[in-house]
Amino acid sequence: MTEVSIPIEQLRQQQPRYQGISPGHRACLGCGQALAARLVTEASGPDIMIANATGCLEIFTTPWPESAWKVPWMHSLFENTGAIASGIEAALKAQGKSSKVIAMGGDGGTFDIGFQALSGMLERDHNILYICYDNEAYMNTGVQRSGSTPHAAMTNTSPPGKARMGKRHLKKDIISIIASHHIPYAATASVAYPSDIRKKVRRAMHIEGPTFLQIHAPCPLGWGHDGSQSIAIARLAVETGLFPVIELERGALANVMPIRNIQPVTAYLKAQQRFRHLFKKADQRVKEELAHLQALADHNIEVYGLQSDHTDKLDTRGAALVHRRGKHWA
Amino acid sequence: MPILTRGAFAQADTAKMYKTGSWRIQKPYHQHFSAPCHNACLAGEDAQAWLAYFSEGHIQKAWETLVSVNPLPGVSGRVCHHPCETACNRGQYDEALAIHHIERYLGEQAIQHGWNYPLLSQTRHVEKIAIIGAGPAGLSAAYHLKQRGYKVDIFDNLPVAGGLLQIALPPYRLPRNALQAEIERILALGIDFQAQKQLGRDFSLEELHPQYAAIFLAIGRQNSREWQVDGVIPHHLQNGLDMLKEWIALGKLDIPDRLAVIGGGNTAIDLARILRRAGAKEVHLITHQAHPDSSENDMMNAIPREIIQAEEEGVQLHTQRGIQRLLLRGEQVIGVEMTRMQTMQHADGRSERVSFRGTETVLHVDQVVPAIGQQLDLKALEHLSTTVEGMPVTVHGQTDQPHIFAGGDMCLRSSGTVSGAIGDGYRAAIAIHHTLQNTPLPHPTQTTTITVEQLNLHYYESSPRLHTATLTVEERCKNDASAEVETGFNDEQAKKEATRCLSCGNCMACDNCWTFCPDSAILKTQENASNSSHYVFDYDYCKGCGLCKTECPCGFIIMQDEA
Ligand SMILES: Cc1cc2nc3c(=O)[nH]c(=O)nc-3n(C[C@H](O)[C@H](O)[C@H](O)COP(=O)(O)OP(=O)(O)OC[C@H]3O[C@@H](n4cnc5c(N)ncnc54)[C@H](O)[C@@H]3O)c2cc1C
Ligand SMILES: Cc1ncc(C[n+]2csc(CCOP(=O)(O)OP(=O)(O)O)c2C)c(N)n1
Ligand code: SF4
Ligand code: SF4
Ligand code: SF4
Ligand code: SF4
Ligand SMILES: [Mg+2]
Repeated sequence: MTEVSIPIEQLRQQQPRYQGISPGHRACLGCGQALAARLVTEASGPDIMIANATGCLEIFTTPWPESAWKVPWMHSLFENTGAIASGIEAALKAQGKSSKVIAMGGDGGTFDIGFQALSGMLERDHNILYICYDNEAYMNTGVQRSGSTPHAAMTNTSPPGKARMGKRHLKKDIISIIASHHIPYAATASVAYPSDIRKKVRRAMHIEGPTFLQIHAPCPLGWGHDGSQSIAIARLAVETGLFPVIELERGALANVMPIRNIQPVTAYLKAQQRFRHLFKKADQRVKEELAHLQALADHNIEVYGLQSDHTDKLDTRGAALVHRRGKHWA
Repeated sequence: MPILTRGAFAQADTAKMYKTGSWRIQKPYHQHFSAPCHNACLAGEDAQAWLAYFSEGHIQKAWETLVSVNPLPGVSGRVCHHPCETACNRGQYDEALAIHHIERYLGEQAIQHGWNYPLLSQTRHVEKIAIIGAGPAGLSAAYHLKQRGYKVDIFDNLPVAGGLLQIALPPYRLPRNALQAEIERILALGIDFQAQKQLGRDFSLEELHPQYAAIFLAIGRQNSREWQVDGVIPHHLQNGLDMLKEWIALGKLDIPDRLAVIGGGNTAIDLARILRRAGAKEVHLITHQAHPDSSENDMMNAIPREIIQAEEEGVQLHTQRGIQRLLLRGEQVIGVEMTRMQTMQHADGRSERVSFRGTETVLHVDQVVPAIGQQLDLKALEHLSTTVEGMPVTVHGQTDQPHIFAGGDMCLRSSGTVSGAIGDGYRAAIAIHHTLQNTPLPHPTQTTTITVEQLNLHYYESSPRLHTATLTVEERCKNDASAEVETGFNDEQAKKEATRCLSCGNCMACDNCWTFCPDSAILKTQENASNSSHYVFDYDYCKGCGLCKTECPCGFIIMQDEA
């Protein structure tokens, strides 16, 4: 049994890193989004204001009448975070205040219903960092497909059956659409790489103007995996090429996280119940779907040049390495 | 709690009032597992522990941790067969850590900087302990008893302490300045070394008993095992260990051109190597055991590295060969007749050496030297139950007499190694201490060793083991025959190699758990928590997701069902 000589609440006050979210939130066990949001606040620091779309993050951090947030935070509707954040930013500007506004939404709130408000926010050049927690479905309402749900994944509205093998359509290439707004900085990141998230948030915080960060965040409930595997699965998404970790400046590709040991997509898919229909029996349809998913990953690796040539120390392997006394964390 | 109306606002940071720990069905714990290097070390060293200090740059603290168990790291770092490295988990990832090289480096640093042994206990006891034999077993026991506050006298029939290390291990792999420095540091703790006092000649066990509360016997094996060929013992042959001792004492040997050494252990190999250094043109080593490169069970006992170096130096190995008879011209040996042999396993587990008819060959040599092992000299041990094959003792060296303990080569269970002897001395010292203080001996608990599967290897970079230079064969045999063959690590190499340690089963304070917990339920402490980790679980909020366990590289976190 672990014991320390000071009260645990006091110890919590002495932690060497700022966190904008406290425990007590009601996220599921091993929630990738809860972790991602906390990592964002670790890098942003306390001088921020958040507009948060309806969705898991909003729900699990603010069970009435409590809040897990330590920073000013406002709940928007599901569809209008971009607009709410724009308003906050304009108001702050009018008051001559410099707090950074951060908009947060799920993939549903970003790729689908909130997209118009987001696009307007980018187009109007607001000084806002927009963060999309991408768990690839509408989780908060019980796992419905979104524009972000990957091809062939099972959700309650894309069930596998005789007619089709899970979601018929492809995952929307949101980062390209965002980048086409010609904004200064747009990037993707994964909860498997906390230092990378924090670096990207810091970078975006320093940019005057609209910036966008899409964070891949496994959802144990919706993806059908044990909460203990969230990081391992997030890492596999990156290492297969299915989720490219990239940075775009003014729409142009500026940087990628190269993959040291490229993994087959089956390693990633097998670990999740939402793809279990692809492993039940190896008929022709299944073979084709698996080959299709592998082709999508290969395509990403090719277009973004993700294969590591071992020159970048912070490739998928290097970025994960540990050191005594945590000397490696950014 | 503030009263809030609908549509108003929530106070910041109030979700903490709700304790999500109540959701938990599995609970994470910190669990220190023994690293394989620790369990494999015959001296009892916990390499993981001292490597941790080392890789954090606390070199002296690393040495102090090491010598709190093994007071002779400069010796063991050079001559131990390092089973720790055979067991090292890193071996299943890329290459095992060069533990012995770092151990040796620490031994060197301590000598260079004149470090003193850490004070392990403040207590002083009135009891006096007698130790017979100043080999590694006796020295280790003396050190540990002195460190526990006893008065210790060592008796040895030789004029110098060190046992076989001093008189039989060739200086080309155990330089005498390193040996001497470590022996002197032990004796300087205030141990009385009584030289040239032989048990059985100058005193008996019975005479010692009234003065000394306990006796630790560590007299090694003084009699050479007799070699039989064709049913007779050729008494006129000079024995291998004696020749080795002579060369070490005098630096030269009177030998013919061609010799055959019989045996597959360290003595045989060392003898063969010094024969080459002493100028022999042909040195053959004949053993019924198999070459370490083969996949046979019955492998040569000598350390593989030494066998390879012997071959480099021109020693010709005849493995899995037996000698049928000596070829004589009058009294003079002119050769041997060899046959092929193999050790065969029977279904019931017995093994038997079989020689194959029709494979006889003749080897012409001028001298045959048996070096097939040593036996216990029973003189002066009459009152203890033992045979020439070794004295039966417990793990803690207890004999059939309560105040007499024994360890090292003389025991039946001995591994015949330096590290085994050091460990025997350590364990016997603990047993003597508990016996005298009338406290129960700690159970030799079988600690669970952490396997490589329990680690998360994703977090470690693959990196090759560092190697050091060895002298060329010319440098070894032609120039200074005593020059140390293997070079040690320099500062940079030692540091680099130490950081390759995976920290199996113990927290390396990497912050992974602290960073990944989605519920901020792991807190970092500046001071150590009671379990030696730097982190504590806040069970008020931990939901028991198990993420921290999965992502701990060292296997230091386990999950257990909630009671
Ligand atoms: C050539 C050679 C090479 C070896 N190489 C290695 C190696 O590379 N690695 C390894 O791990 N092991 C090696 N060994 C084995 C190792 O040396 C022994 O296992 C180890 O020294 C045993 O230690 P000990 O303290 O039990 O006995 P010893 O080292 O034999 O010491 C016994 C001491 O007791 C003294 N003594 C004996 N009888 C009496 C008496 N009646 N009264 C008083 N004093 C007495 C002796 O003088 C001696 O000092 C080698 C052995 C030999 C011979
Ligand atoms: C206009 C509107 N339609 C539907 C809903 C119901 N609703 C609340 S959250 C949510 C899904 C959220 O999905 P996403 O944005 O991906 O966030 P997640 O919960 O997955 O984190 C839906 C459909 C709503 N609140 N408002
Ligand atoms: S449903 Fe998924 S995203 Fe929502 S709290 Fe649970 S794990 Fe997190
Ligand atoms: S990696 Fe380190 S702790 Fe693990 S067995 Fe090897 S030396 Fe010991
Ligand atoms: S990661 Fe956090 S919540 Fe999950 S088991 Fe570990 S301490 Fe508990
Ligand atoms: S994850 Fe790192 S810091 Fe946490 S217990 Fe394991 S080794 Fe220690
Ligand atoms: Mg979602």
